[in-house]
Amino acid sequence: MAEVTLTVNGVRRAVGADPGTPLLWVLRDELGLTGTKYGCGEGYCGSCTVLEEGAPVRSCQVPLAQAAGKRYTTIEGLSNDGSHPAQRAWLEQNVSQCGFCQPGMILEAAALLARRANPTEEEIASALGDHLCRCGSYPRILSAVRLAARRAAAGGRP
Amino acid sequence: MSTRRDFLKVSLLAGGGLLVGFRWTEAAEGAAAAGVPFRPNAWVRIEADGRVVLVVGKTEMGQGVRTALAKILAEELDVDLDRVEIEQASPGPEYTDLGTGGSSSSMDGWDPLRAAGASARALLVAAAAARWGVDASGCRTEPGRVLGPEGRAAAYGELAAEAAARTPPETPPLKPAAERRLIGRRVQRLDGPAIVTGRARYGLDVRLPGMRFAVVARPPRFGDRLAGFDSTGALAVDGVEDCFAIPGGIAVVARSTWAALAGRRALVADWRAGAGGDFASEAHARALREAVAEAGVTTRRDGAGRAALAGAARRLHAVYEYPFAAHGAIEPVAATARVESGRCEIWSPTQTPNAVQAFAARTLALPPDAVTVHVTLAGGGFGRRLGWDFDLEAVEVARRIDAPVQLVWSREDDLVHGYFQAASAHRLEAGLDASGRVVAWDHRKASTPHNARRRPSREQLADPQFLAGSSWGVNDQPYAFPAVETSYRVVEAPVPIGPWRSVFAPSSVFARESFLDEVALASGRDPLALRLELLGADDAGVPRIAEPGGARVDRLRLRRVLETAAERSEWSRPLPAGRARGLAADVFHTETYVAHVVEVAPRARRRPGEPPFTIERVVVAIDCGVVIDPDGVAQQAESGVYWSLSNVLGETSFARGRAREENFDAFRIATFADRPRAIETHLVPNDDERPHGLGEPVVNSFAPALANALARLTGQRPRRLPFDLAALG
Ligand code: FES
Ligand code: FES
Repeated sequence: MAEVTLTVNGVRRAVGADPGTPLLWVLRDELGLTGTKYGCGEGYCGSCTVLEEGAPVRSCQVPLAQAAGKRYTTIEGLSNDGSHPAQRAWLEQNVSQCGFCQPGMILEAAALLARRANPTEEEIASALGDHLCRCGSYPRILSAVRLAARRAAAGGRP
Repeated sequence: MSTRRDFLKVSLLAGGGLLVGFRWTEAAEGAAAAGVPFRPNAWVRIEADGRVVLVVGKTEMGQGVRTALAKILAEELDVDLDRVEIEQASPGPEYTDLGTGGSSSSMDGWDPLRAAGASARALLVAAAAARWGVDASGCRTEPGRVLGPEGRAAAYGELAAEAAARTPPETPPLKPAAERRLIGRRVQRLDGPAIVTGRARYGLDVRLPGMRFAVVARPPRFGDRLAGFDSTGALAVDGVEDCFAIPGGIAVVARSTWAALAGRRALVADWRAGAGGDFASEAHARALREAVAEAGVTTRRDGAGRAALAGAARRLHAVYEYPFAAHGAIEPVAATARVESGRCEIWSPTQTPNAVQAFAARTLALPPDAVTVHVTLAGGGFGRRLGWDFDLEAVEVARRIDAPVQLVWSREDDLVHGYFQAASAHRLEAGLDASGRVVAWDHRKASTPHNARRRPSREQLADPQFLAGSSWGVNDQPYAFPAVETSYRVVEAPVPIGPWRSVFAPSSVFARESFLDEVALASGRDPLALRLELLGADDAGVPRIAEPGGARVDRLRLRRVLETAAERSEWSRPLPAGRARGLAADVFHTETYVAHVVEVAPRARRRPGEPPFTIERVVVAIDCGVVIDPDGVAQQAESGVYWSLSNVLGETSFARGRAREENFDAFRIATFADRPRAIETHLVPNDDERPHGLGEPVVNSFAPALANALARLTGQRPRRLPFDLAALG
């Protein structure tokens, strides 16, 4: 089996798995990064979202072969210590209920904040529009993204 | 070690800490009365380094239970919340009654946790007083320390060993409500940091050295039997190691989840059709509608019951329908197991650890204490994890291989092969006298009682008490009608039915609160005024406390949540044209009172799949007794709105013996696009002395309030969930 090399959270990793294996399962089963969640496997829920070269992708829809040579950020690598403005805002707004969908939500929000410093409610809702939360944390996600944007504007990252 | 008769056990920990054992459940009272020696089933450790560890037997599924319980303890013990660590209990002789459901955790934990915290604090104070040779009354505490006369101070950790040698007080002093620092204040959830950094470990995140992953090929239709299978293709998939039959299907074992899933696709199984293979929800809905045309087994009769309808000046009736629904937690069910040299270990996000232990032991013919169950975080529960089917599948696979194994349900497995909320039909009829007063109330329900975890017996299916227990929201309705009859007709289905958030209440409350709105409209009454009247607002003859079907209802408290929701939503102020409001209320059997007012408007630009209306505002008024965390209440209120909204928008339907909605493209969960513009939660002051449940009660009155608003907006009344969006447009 061919080895595929990719960079995850700044570390180069060589993976020997079937090239058709979705990145989701490579992360979870081969690399032990279980912060990336499986919710549907078909691209519908967004809980497997990771950043590919900074842009959000659904890792269940990315075959390993396609990930070769690319750089990925998972929730474990968004910050060293949970200090990303989105992570901090998530805590302050008590966004999480069960929390299972939240790594995907946070990474999508982080990518949005990186491209739009001060997103409108419509922009937030549309960026996160295809993410599912069965616990109904949507209103708090909206306020957390707004809070993170305000914080970032006041001098923090991103 | 000293024991305070039937209440508390105090001992010294290795390393000089204080161990306080207490009893969680009310079963303790019974045991004490029967002369059985006191045996704790819950523990707090105060370590010599000052750390406080609370061992909890409740499963965190997103309801915030771990934080709530830690707060209750920290308040009376007088420590900062961040000093409290939570350790998850595993079933065993000390933990015989674990389990999370019925929205009861904070309610059940309130008294024992406060008593344990207050006792430990009293012991620490007494130890400090003895050490300093002063009277305990001259000492007080601040978070984590005892303070004495002349500036003396000692940290809890240093006093722990001395405290462990003392006898706990008979009645430890509890903090007056006015002095509380934590209860009633907003805090950040304890599990938050682990969640936002990806460190939180759910059922699917268990990783063990050398572990395998397995999926199970299950009968494609209800009633199918396995006649044989060919695993050649599956075993040819790279990473697949084994395929074998287990009860309920064929397990495919592999070195990764993906290989197991690919192996299952390559498996060829021969299924033989059995009973139920032609089941369709449309035909079942017809059977339910036909069933409510006749009354079933009477579950409650007040006054003359249904017979009182005959004397009414005017009679109204309507039929409401409710669908099957999967739970659809974003984390599909999964469990990990290892069976090795006469022992079994299970890692599961279960809501019922003791049952998992008992059934695993029975499956393996092992004594229960040879089975250890580790409870993980759950990516949503909603009643699904009160079943142990997936845990036993993990055990069945683990016993056949020489490695630990994670048994994964794919999303499709989870939506198709779990158990479901039962479909039901409700027929309500009201009799009004000449002045428009409701004098008779008849509520018939037809549905399928729970059958997935245990099959009801033939006797149970005819037993009024059993059926009343499956009729929340019907037979325990809170309104004071002079004559009431409620009944239940069983309609069998091959669909597995089991607990689902708020269980039997959502369908009944949707029907009841919608029908009350119809009665109000037909008799020219304001729906709020009608409800208040039926709750005794202007009639001292209506008892304030009612006990319908064994549940306790305080009608004054229900009136107050209605009044609060009305006031906050400006109910009496007319809306501009093109807007409408609806109102509904419920009291859940945890004695939690909730009212919803929903305001709707037509949707301006409608994209495919979107409802023809927008929800402009939701006002939720809640009386849940003592408020442990106002933000926690608001969070649950928001969660309840979205849960109910999903119930309004989607369902699980069946065709040819199988669920049609196999993944989230078809199984509809409310999204950002469906969001109400605002959800406001208002807490209604009360003089209750304990907290009451929240997770389920917040669900029930949203859907009927929305239906009532839409009936006014469009002139079309939705009498079926999910709503027929085309008809409303
Ligand atoms: S798991 Fe990838 S979108 Fe759902
Ligand atoms: S917090 Fe539970 S699914 Fe989103």
